[in-house]
Amino acid sequence: MKTGISKAVERTDARKKIRGEAEYIADRHFEEQLYAKTIRSSKAKARILEIRLPEMPADYFAVGRNDVPGLNRMRTVVSDHPIFAEEQVEYIGQPLFLLVGPDREKLCDLADMVNIRYEEEAGVFTLEEAEKQDTVFTDYQYRKGDPAAAFRDAAQIIEEEFRTGYQEHAYLEPQGIAAEYRNGILYVYGSMQCPYYVRNALLETMAIPDKQIRIIQTVTGGAFGGKEEFPSLTACQVAVAAKKTEKPVMMIYDRDEDIRCSTKRHPSLIRCRAALDKNNAVTGLEMDVLLNAGAYNGLSPVVLQRALFSATGVYDIPHLRVRGRNYRTNMTPSGAFRGFGAPQSIFAIEMLMLQIAVRLGEDPLEYKMRHALKQGSQTCTGGKVREEVKLPEIVGKIRKMSAYVKKQKNKKPFSGIGASLFLHGCGFTGRGESDIRGKVILSKDKDSVTLRVSSVEMGQGAETVLRKIVAQSLDIPIEKVNYAQVDTGAVPDSGPTVASRTTMIVGGLLQECAKEMKARWRECDRLEIEKVYQHPSWLHWDDSTFQGDAYPVYSWGANIAEVEVDPISYEISVKKIYAVYDVGVPVDLRTLDGQMQGGIAQGIGWATIELMEGEAGRLKQSNLTDYKVPTSMDTPEMEIAYVNNPYPYGPFGAKCAGELPFVGSPPAVAAAVSDALGRKINYIPLTPESLMESDNED
Amino acid sequence: MLDGYLPAKLSEALDMMAECDCIPFAGGTDLMVQHARGSGVRPCFDKTLLFVSALKELKTFDLMGKTLRIGAAVTLSELLENAATPQIFKEILRQMAAAPTRHMATLAGNICNASPAGDTLPYLYAMDAEVILQSRNETRVLPVADFITAPKRTQRKNDELLTGIRIPAAEFNVESYRKLGQRKGMSLTKASFLGLASTANGRIEDIRIALGSVAPHIVRSRKIESKLTGKNIKDIPGILQELQKDYSALIRPIDDARSTAAYRKQVSLRLIRDFLINCMLKKIP
Amino acid sequence: MKIEFTLNGEKKHLDVHAATRLLDVLRGHFGLIGVKEGCGEGECGACMVLINGRAMNSCMIPMGNLEGKNVITPEAFCQSERGRIIEDAFMEAGAVQCGFCTPGFIMATASLLNANPDPDEAQIREALSGNLCRCTGYTAIVRAVRIAAGKGAGAC
Ligand SMILES: Cc1cc2nc3c(=O)[nH]c(=O)nc-3n(C[C@H](O)[C@H](O)[C@H](O)COP(=O)(O)OP(=O)(O)OC[C@H]3O[C@@H](n4cnc5c(N)ncnc54)[C@H](O)[C@@H]3O)c2cc1C
Ligand code: FES
Ligand code: FES
Repeated sequence: MKTGISKAVERTDARKKIRGEAEYIADRHFEEQLYAKTIRSSKAKARILEIRLPEMPADYFAVGRNDVPGLNRMRTVVSDHPIFAEEQVEYIGQPLFLLVGPDREKLCDLADMVNIRYEEEAGVFTLEEAEKQDTVFTDYQYRKGDPAAAFRDAAQIIEEEFRTGYQEHAYLEPQGIAAEYRNGILYVYGSMQCPYYVRNALLETMAIPDKQIRIIQTVTGGAFGGKEEFPSLTACQVAVAAKKTEKPVMMIYDRDEDIRCSTKRHPSLIRCRAALDKNNAVTGLEMDVLLNAGAYNGLSPVVLQRALFSATGVYDIPHLRVRGRNYRTNMTPSGAFRGFGAPQSIFAIEMLMLQIAVRLGEDPLEYKMRHALKQGSQTCTGGKVREEVKLPEIVGKIRKMSAYVKKQKNKKPFSGIGASLFLHGCGFTGRGESDIRGKVILSKDKDSVTLRVSSVEMGQGAETVLRKIVAQSLDIPIEKVNYAQVDTGAVPDSGPTVASRTTMIVGGLLQECAKEMKARWRECDRLEIEKVYQHPSWLHWDDSTFQGDAYPVYSWGANIAEVEVDPISYEISVKKIYAVYDVGVPVDLRTLDGQMQGGIAQGIGWATIELMEGEAGRLKQSNLTDYKVPTSMDTPEMEIAYVNNPYPYGPFGAKCAGELPFVGSPPAVAAAVSDALGRKINYIPLTPESLMESDNED
Repeated sequence: MLDGYLPAKLSEALDMMAECDCIPFAGGTDLMVQHARGSGVRPCFDKTLLFVSALKELKTFDLMGKTLRIGAAVTLSELLENAATPQIFKEILRQMAAAPTRHMATLAGNICNASPAGDTLPYLYAMDAEVILQSRNETRVLPVADFITAPKRTQRKNDELLTGIRIPAAEFNVESYRKLGQRKGMSLTKASFLGLASTANGRIEDIRIALGSVAPHIVRSRKIESKLTGKNIKDIPGILQELQKDYSALIRPIDDARSTAAYRKQVSLRLIRDFLINCMLKKIP
Repeated sequence: MKIEFTLNGEKKHLDVHAATRLLDVLRGHFGLIGVKEGCGEGECGACMVLINGRAMNSCMIPMGNLEGKNVITPEAFCQSERGRIIEDAFMEAGAVQCGFCTPGFIMATASLLNANPDPDEAQIREALSGNLCRCTGYTAIVRAVRIAAGKGAGAC
């Protein structure tokens, strides 16, 4: 694996970043630029009675819903979030209007003088309250086999409830966006994952034809889903402001504003019932997934879908009843975050399988492996597992790497070891890819080529990896492959940079282009090849029944975590993580390692220290002092390996990789903590406070 | 109003303090956060900033007899690097913030900020440290424990500068410090424990216990300590419950974004027990 | 307030409000975009610079505290011999992803190696704990510092 496509090349964007030459949005400056500051609701649910503005000095403006030329709604899966609030506010931090002007300090002064009167109403905040009041946004279900019979005939039924908390993306670069009109064209620049989402949102809000809009992605300082749908909202806001003021408008979030008001990972409550037959095998599963979607539904329905289609993890459970609901609460809207609903379900199923094994006195890893999916198995939605499932090889490898058996035997008190098995569906869920029909363009000019895609480099290495795929396919040096600036005026819509789809889907299309180009290389100096995604004909999906192939293929993995728990304070130290993944063929080992290490660390954070609690609509942890993400001292040594399993339809055999590591580390860490303390773990984050509370020793 | 003033010498600084309403400004690691207004915006102060961190007179660090004298402008990093700084104090400093903040932050700032989560305070309370307060016409010396009157409140008068800290020497053969934060790397304290003792022939000669972040002020009780002084270490288990009850009355924590009152209380009592039982029992000859 | 300081080897005189953050002066006045604002409260290290050879967060430094100081930013540092070694080490280790944290880590690395040319893993992790990175999980960054130290970045 150290050769060919897997052999690492130098990242093409890195030196500029090291030297501080890369231009992020806040580094841009437009002539006569104005800044925007968002005035937000301080109430979780209220009617706005009156807004009193201070007197606006010359060059200062208030920009609100009456300035919106088109629809005052942000376009996404469910277009329900107002660009600017109307009569009613639904969460603390909801944008009411912008103050815009040349000096940021002055804007702060003016913001301090804004006076708003509200009539408060009772809000709904937690999943429990939401369930009681039935504030359901989306309610999905599907089934497989004959769950009623499985439970009727069960030798044993096990019920458990699992909870996961909020998570903040905490990308290092805060949200930032700018808009300007030049020659009748609206330009929007910013830190984002999905330029075409932004364009589509602007089409409706600005009510102008797409020829008059160009979205240009600037160097993006991390995203993780947090810059998937959210920039559509801020882009519409600054566009409205640029139109009104006839000047370029720049909006850079403060960190605390970003934490309080941008989307978060959905908190979940997952109820499970498992039916065991007399051989102790799980034959039936009922899973009820509740997600806290916050004040607006946005793209929560698709998050919920992925949560539901990941319900059984890597296990082949013949009889299933799966239900999921998104609830409306008066909290900051939840949204896309690496894993997209899957981490919540995988946590639940992994902990459930662990607990069953422990109850039965079986070795967890062996018990789990007895249930593992195989090539040809039916997926939870009745699709087919087409690839070879290399879990036995993965597990064999990780056992050896970690000396699992030996460590299990020589366990010291308050130290523990835990394993997780997991998968991640590659690319969009269900019909997603066939609806989007991503398009890419590869053009040749003498001996160099340019690839045009709307997939963005946001830290994950897309630029290097896509250039490399083209370069190796064409057998030319990577320096000869240009990555066109992602600008909707110049690149086709190859879909958003989400769902771990960039390498596999977009890279795959580029490889097709490159293959064709190679064959026609000598035809002429200039050549342009365009490819559009074709959904493989053998994949079937029915969106109304959730039956069929939810994903074309899966990536797989196993993690083993070693932890120590402080017997006095219950602080957790994650000592070591072992990880083995099947991502098809690694396209660039160094980049891939980076994705894995980063994903593991983020997962550890979610499972241990990243506590974010709502309190009557307010997020208690709203800056980086109170909301803690792991530092170098909180992150363990990691040992990572891969098994080779070429996917015939991915470029060079690649499948998805970006989200997979995030899915795997939380259940492994939780399992290790469970092992260390000898008790069931049914929630994360595992704060010392919560662990001590459930300990009655003192 | 002057936005800022950089005095060339201490007397000039004291003149400024006497003549106008100033904010003494040291490393700024508390002040800049407290007055921050957001991305790209200058922090807002309503008084003149008097920058004291370059004053040579406040950069001193020496031993007078057995007393450590630390100038108000000495940074935490400088304390960490100085051979005269006691090991246990270094242990505390090492766990404060991270290097870039320690390169700027001062001990004086930590004291004057008067937060119950100030990490140097348990040590200063335990050591009976004193602060030196100077105004144009007067110099006062106060125990740190008296200087700090409430969270964010001190006895410093408007025209006074804190110019130095004095830490009397004391030798201990049992030392234990635990800082609990939300994570291992840089974090503010949700509860901290410092135990210092000197024992001889299985007897406690001197013992000092201080807890941070678990009450509106640092918890240190001479009354409880005196119950232990002179005792045989072997006898501690017999009075442990009583001692824990005594401390329990003093530990009055709150729920906040970083922890819960219940946890803070329980973990404090556990740390006290661990110190009195596990750390001390090792010293039985 | 009138302030005199050295920026990347050049003497500068400025007349600014005493509370103005060094971060804003570097970015706004000098166009040095290698220092970034990630939090504005000392938590992330994205705004880090070297002051008299030590890493400090420029969002925490008011201009009034800068008199007579020697400021080095990532841009200039990367031009130095040591800067080049550290840059190459970051490349080799794959320590850069989104890059928003990276210049700050370069400053923290320089500061560490100034004080300790041969740090062990625990010392490296301690020294980097004032810088947040959400992308890499730190593994590659720690390795980069090791590589840089091995290549003598601390000695030149
Ligand atoms: C990222 C970060 C992490 C931190 N972590 C910790 C931590 O782990 N533990 C901890 O305890 N603290 C922590 N702090 C808080 C802070 O760094 C410390 O309190 C520090 O010691 C303050 O010192 P300073 O010199 O920066 O104070 P400044 O901010 O300059 O001043 C603080 C207060 O003291 C006053 N003052 C300063 N010097 C004098 C003087 N000579 N005379 C009179 N008044 C004076 C000021 O007017 C002000 O009210 C952290 C801060 C940050 C930004
Ligand atoms: S911006 Fe200065 S530390 Fe984050
Ligand atoms: S590389 Fe993105 S935060 Fe470090």
